[in-house]
Amino acid sequence: MIEAHGLTKRYGPLTAISDVSFAVQTGEILGFIGPNGAGKTTAMRILTGFLPATEGRAVVAGHDVFESPHEVKRSVGYLPETPPLYRELTVGQYLRFVAEIREIPRSERLRRVGEVMERVGLTGWERRILGSLSKGYRQRVGLAQALVHDPPVLILDEPTSGLDPAQVAGVRELIGQLAGERTVVLSTHILREVEALCGRVVIISEGRVAARGTMDEVRALAGGVRYRARVLPGADEALAVATAVGALGEVDEVRPAEDGSLEIRATEDPRTAVAALVAARGWGLAALEREVPGLEEAFLAVVGREGAA
Amino acid sequence: MMRTVWALYRKELRVYFVSPLAYAFLGAFLFLAGLFFYMGIALTGEASLRVMLGNLAISLLFVLPMLTMRQLAEEQRQGTFELLMTSPVRLAALIVGKWLAVLTLCTVMLAGTLLFPVVLAYYGQPDWGMVATSYLGMFLCCAAFSAAGLFASSLTDDQVAAGLGGILLLLPFWLVGNADALLGEEYRDLIDLVALLPHLRSFTRGVLDSADVLWFVGFCFVFLFLTYRTLESRRWR
Repeated sequence: MIEAHGLTKRYGPLTAISDVSFAVQTGEILGFIGPNGAGKTTAMRILTGFLPATEGRAVVAGHDVFESPHEVKRSVGYLPETPPLYRELTVGQYLRFVAEIREIPRSERLRRVGEVMERVGLTGWERRILGSLSKGYRQRVGLAQALVHDPPVLILDEPTSGLDPAQVAGVRELIGQLAGERTVVLSTHILREVEALCGRVVIISEGRVAARGTMDEVRALAGGVRYRARVLPGADEALAVATAVGALGEVDEVRPAEDGSLEIRATEDPRTAVAALVAARGWGLAALEREVPGLEEAFLAVVGREGAA
Repeated sequence: MMRTVWALYRKELRVYFVSPLAYAFLGAFLFLAGLFFYMGIALTGEASLRVMLGNLAISLLFVLPMLTMRQLAEEQRQGTFELLMTSPVRLAALIVGKWLAVLTLCTVMLAGTLLFPVVLAYYGQPDWGMVATSYLGMFLCCAAFSAAGLFASSLTDDQVAAGLGGILLLLPFWLVGNADALLGEEYRDLIDLVALLPHLRSFTRGVLDSADVLWFVGFCFVFLFLTYRTLESRRWR
């Protein structure tokens, strides 16, 4: 549904993004993550046809963004980082205007605006002036604006930034519902959001793609599944414990962590063996668990701690 | 294309008339018109609109950039320019829709001053042909000033800068008509080319010359085209 090939954008001597490539299949949600200023917004603006790329090619909904931008614009709903609202207009006036410039036939306009207002939870807010709305409601109007022409592709730039936790949950739920019928590209620097919603991830750092793939593939960049054992009594016998655990057949590698626990890498689940060993030696076992590295670890591993905002 | 022009035009007028700005300028403009009308009659003692219209034209030079200043600057500041440019809206449709909206506002302003020729008709015999050409000239002035004002508004996302810039941009076209004595003969052709006043004067004298109409049409075209190029290039920066 969306393909980006080697997108590069230079502003004079400054390179905003460089050689960014990725693909999104129909119905997928792609999480576009990266530190602030990494080039997420630039990449999204190129996909929407707002910004021309210096180099590279992008195909959205079967149309080349640079050769037929109007067809692309018809199939894309875009929510910029701050919802683009006319403060003077009411919610209804604004959405009807957007419906009109998105070429929805007059006979369907009112119905579409009503539907989309219901969908984002704006029913009954039609006559409110946009300038008087709270941030959460502005964001809803922004989403409604992106959905009003029923586009197959949605591009959302930080859709939950500045919202309170309840509103964030609401917007996330809505995006989850939209997937499946639509292809969504979602930029954010909130990693939990991506873990909750996205099947596919692109990590962008300093204008370049630092990692991309399915959620599991990207998580694996942090080293895959591991086990953690906390064996008592801790420090004085730590070396002996580590050696004993390392000698078990199931265990590939043991590393003492800073907090006194043991980080175990193993191809098969070694927990039964570790528990039996600890019991046989008469040690105590405070914790023994399986850990799946989160996206955050993968992100930090890829981007580097100083790059993460 | 026409449909988006129409949508943008209606949106623009709606934004004008929900803010107090349009009413304030409308009121101020009519107040000035009344003042000039009274002064014109009191000073010359003739049943003519010449003084009023001459003074109104220079007021328009200040009023119109104030009316156009927000049009493109505000779209850029509020991020709605991005909304328009990610919708299937052509840049030309956007500019024409906005320009027509200002022209509509101008027509309302000028229509308000039609009261004065009517009053004049009670006391004397105004030359209706001259009134008609004068109003055409005023309207063309509005069209030209708003085109230049739009251009100023496309250059920045700061309304005030756009307004002042528009006035500063227009003033030379107005003043250069009086500068031939200063500049000397060798600049004669240049002055004839850019000076606005000679073209406006023939309208207020009741002369309808296609060359003058063309001068205003050309002026509008040049500035609308520059607006287009500016907005287009904004996307590349």
